[in-house]
Amino acid sequence: MTTPLSHPLSRRTLFRGAGAALVAGGLGACAPGNTTGADPLPSSSATKPPSGELTIWDRTGDLYKVFDKAIASFTAKYPQVKVNHVAVDINAKLPATLISGAGVPDGAFYDDALLTGVAPHLHDLSQLIEQYKPDIAPYKLGVVTVDGKVVAVPWDLDPGLLFYREDIVTQAGVDPTKLATYDDLLGAARTVRDKFPAAKPIHLENDQFLAQLWIDMFANQQGGAMVGADGKLALDSDPYRKTLTWLDTVRAQGLGTLAKYTQPTDLQTQDNGTQVFVPWAQWFVFAPQQLLKASKGKWRATALPAWEAGGARAGVMGGSSFVIPAKAKNPELAWRLYEHLVFSKEGYTAVYGKNDVYPRGLNTSIPSYLPALDPAAPLFETIDALGGQDLWKVAVEAGKQVPGGYTIPTWWGKAVDYFGVNVQKMLAGRMSPDEVLKTSASQIQKNLMGPN
Amino acid sequence: MATLTEAATTRRSAQRTRRPRVKAAPYLFVAPFVLVFAAFNAYPIFFALQLSFTNWHGAGALEIIGFANYRYLLTSPDFWQSMATSGVLWLLVVPAQVLVALTIAVALRKARFRGLFSAALIAPFVTPLVAMAQVWIILFDQDFGAVNHGLSSIGLPTIGWLTTAAGAKVAVALLVLWRTTGYAVILLMAGLSTIPTEVYEAARIDGASAWHQFWSITVPLVTRTLSFVVVIGTLTVFQLFAEPYVVTGGGPFNATRTAGLYLYKHITNSDLGLGAANSMLLVLMVLALSLASIRLLRSREDS
Repeated sequence: MTTPLSHPLSRRTLFRGAGAALVAGGLGACAPGNTTGADPLPSSSATKPPSGELTIWDRTGDLYKVFDKAIASFTAKYPQVKVNHVAVDINAKLPATLISGAGVPDGAFYDDALLTGVAPHLHDLSQLIEQYKPDIAPYKLGVVTVDGKVVAVPWDLDPGLLFYREDIVTQAGVDPTKLATYDDLLGAARTVRDKFPAAKPIHLENDQFLAQLWIDMFANQQGGAMVGADGKLALDSDPYRKTLTWLDTVRAQGLGTLAKYTQPTDLQTQDNGTQVFVPWAQWFVFAPQQLLKASKGKWRATALPAWEAGGARAGVMGGSSFVIPAKAKNPELAWRLYEHLVFSKEGYTAVYGKNDVYPRGLNTSIPSYLPALDPAAPLFETIDALGGQDLWKVAVEAGKQVPGGYTIPTWWGKAVDYFGVNVQKMLAGRMSPDEVLKTSASQIQKNLMGPN
Repeated sequence: MATLTEAATTRRSAQRTRRPRVKAAPYLFVAPFVLVFAAFNAYPIFFALQLSFTNWHGAGALEIIGFANYRYLLTSPDFWQSMATSGVLWLLVVPAQVLVALTIAVALRKARFRGLFSAALIAPFVTPLVAMAQVWIILFDQDFGAVNHGLSSIGLPTIGWLTTAAGAKVAVALLVLWRTTGYAVILLMAGLSTIPTEVYEAARIDGASAWHQFWSITVPLVTRTLSFVVVIGTLTVFQLFAEPYVVTGGGPFNATRTAGLYLYKHITNSDLGLGAANSMLLVLMVLALSLASIRLLRSREDS
């Protein structure tokens, strides 16, 4: 789940940690017999009343509290089950635990970007998930499927949205909800700058890790990914070229503010109206709610523009799922718990709906289980920091449009040293989009993928 | 029979007398240190050396791959970039640290409230780094940081402290200087306190100026302490990790990815063999730099 954050750096730190853990997840790829989810989890016992004890791991912080309440709804339903709910630094601890086999939990919350790295150590959930497949967002189903096997219970979806300053664009005479393409967004940025010469309207991400994640969102929107379905490198391709060319145009024409997410420049320029358009994952909503001051209540969200007229208006940035380790003592109980949390109305409502931690509901992501995405039945309420806007409706409409077929390679985190850094150079005017793609592809192929 | 027994007893007694007596107590006393050193210093070093010739990723058997890790590193632009970054930071930090620390130490030699000043100087060293790094990020922000605000207020151009390769190196170097110079001052003050005051009195009687006293008495007599400060500074810079990790994340464009940070990447990548080889190369590099610094200062001392 992406994520209630308790302080401004959490998201950045989280993804940094995720990057480190992702590459640590490369351990899985190095393990003997690099197969995926070798042990299918039997489905026969799923019909028996669950009983026993299980241990699951969740992130620390607010999210832990939210899940604690949701787990209570499970144990109320099945009083014979005892859940040991443990808060740990999962990204740092899980890969090593899976490899060593000592102290393995029965289930754990885990970043999607890390899944492929630990897949050989997870149960194959394909049979169990089969009945739910038609109801899972296609993007998410692709992310949790490794080597043809489903290795995690898909949890949240983090659609990209276009966040904008309603007060500024209104004064400039721009209606962001009418921006059909990214070219339109460029035009809108010029219009805003004409009205406010100091404005550098479009956010340009300057953190190398987040920039890579961000650009993958744009690529996903176009149906692209770093690797194709055949596992071959697909970085030097149209979706990435189009994205980088557009970002380079924003830079070259002085239409962007280059800043690291939630760092001082970022927050200040968003508050003072220099930054007006932020194409970002849904979890950006945390900023106006918790970090921004002067502009709180002035932000709004709409669908991303399309890369071509009539194209998809959404991509995904981030997300998490639940894994069940192959060495878990009670994997079937873990499955029953996650089935309750993800695929039952009672479960996902307990997480996203109103609770003690989030009195108006958890609004930084949406479920990836499509039956939960009813625009008319919001799980979280309207948001004051967005001027009372119904973010639920915007997010679920975007979530339903996210293209599927996306694959995350095991070396994704390591690629930041090449692609992420080269993008940073491009945004500083030191490399062209074509140089970024060709150099990064060559570096990744040589250093991360080998001669084959 | 009794005679034979007595003879044997006498012989054993004579042997005991001739055999050098082994004193067990000293060995018992040093044994805890030796055991702890062997377990936590010697063994890890030898294991790291062994690892450096393997491609171990943290699980499974060690597979010896010869010098492949060393060949990879010595031909890797990333490795040399990290070494160059540490080299630049060494140039930015160590000479400035020696100069500033020595100046402050001399100025404080006769100052009142030395204890108070010492406490103030050591404060940055014991301040939690993560908190200070966040302050640094705010201070050195290109657009809204106090440093650039100060520069522009006196008509100077602003600098991309954390967004340009050169600026980020300087910002990190300043943080390291701020944190470690106080410690160097304390060391040098201790060194200065060992210089007899009679030497200065004699020099004054001979008409030596303050500068002559500093250059001809103070500097030569604290050379050994200065050597120590340089070695400590060299170790600090080449092991530098936390400051660039928190302030810049090694960026922009890996411009502040120090040798220590690059080494960390191997560990997080689970390339433990490569990491071990990298650390061995780092040991050799730091050893060479430290020896060169000591030799340079000793030659000054000898002359």
